[in-house]
Amino acid sequence: MADNRRRGAFLAEPAADELQVPACLGSLAAIAAFVQAVAGRAGLDQGSAYRLRLAVDELATNIVTHGYRGGDGRITVRGRAGAGWARIVVEDSAPPFDPVAGRLPPATDEPPERRRIGGLGIHLALTSVDEFSYVRRDGRNISTLTVKAEGTDPCPPRP
Amino acid sequence: MPLSVSLSIEGDTTVIELAGELDASTAPDFHQTIEKAAGHGTATVEIRMAGVGYMASAGLRSLVFAQQKVAGHVTVKVVGAIEPVARTIRTAGLDRSIVLTDG
Repeated sequence: MADNRRRGAFLAEPAADELQVPACLGSLAAIAAFVQAVAGRAGLDQGSAYRLRLAVDELATNIVTHGYRGGDGRITVRGRAGAGWARIVVEDSAPPFDPVAGRLPPATDEPPERRRIGGLGIHLALTSVDEFSYVRRDGRNISTLTVKAEGTDPCPPRP
Repeated sequence: MPLSVSLSIEGDTTVIELAGELDASTAPDFHQTIEKAAGHGTATVEIRMAGVGYMASAGLRSLVFAQQKVAGHVTVKVVGAIEPVARTIRTAGLDRSIVLTDG
């Protein structure tokens, strides 16, 4: 496999890997397992690994349900593990969607029965990671999510 | 990522016990059980989540759905959620309408 060759050729580099799945909710389990493996290689603590999984899961769910609107499509997930940090790149070829622009903070002043819950997944994704970036390139949405192990972030989120 | 869902009645409390992972692919099972639970008409609906190791926003939607389905005087409780799950519930502000307890 190409990935194995890549690992063999660059042993000094942090491990890299790639997963391509059909854009459907049934792929979420495979994506989660992939993210957890990257988090494991990075030596992330349980809490940081959870945050990364949650963010990627929410983003992928959004791509399936809103990006491709339940139609055919593919999601590519790439991972990179460093010492105390993990980075996941999520790519799709659905219509342009910038998660930062589409972010909707929870309207906590509203009672739940009146509250718009859509957009909350993206809010959770963005608040779960330490770094997030988005670009639209060559007809693809490319989001990059980075989580650092607890205690390594100079500006940790307030509890 | 399987989710197991069980439903029982203990006195005036309808108990939904969840174990596994609650994401967009498994939440529909929880939804169906909420529909049944709401029909029981007990004073409390208790959702035991100690066995839930992961919850995405789809789980939050289910909890909002539970709150909407029960009558106004019915208390919805989430019991035993692990810290990251409880944090997600608090992030959405659902702890204002749903009682979160350690169990």
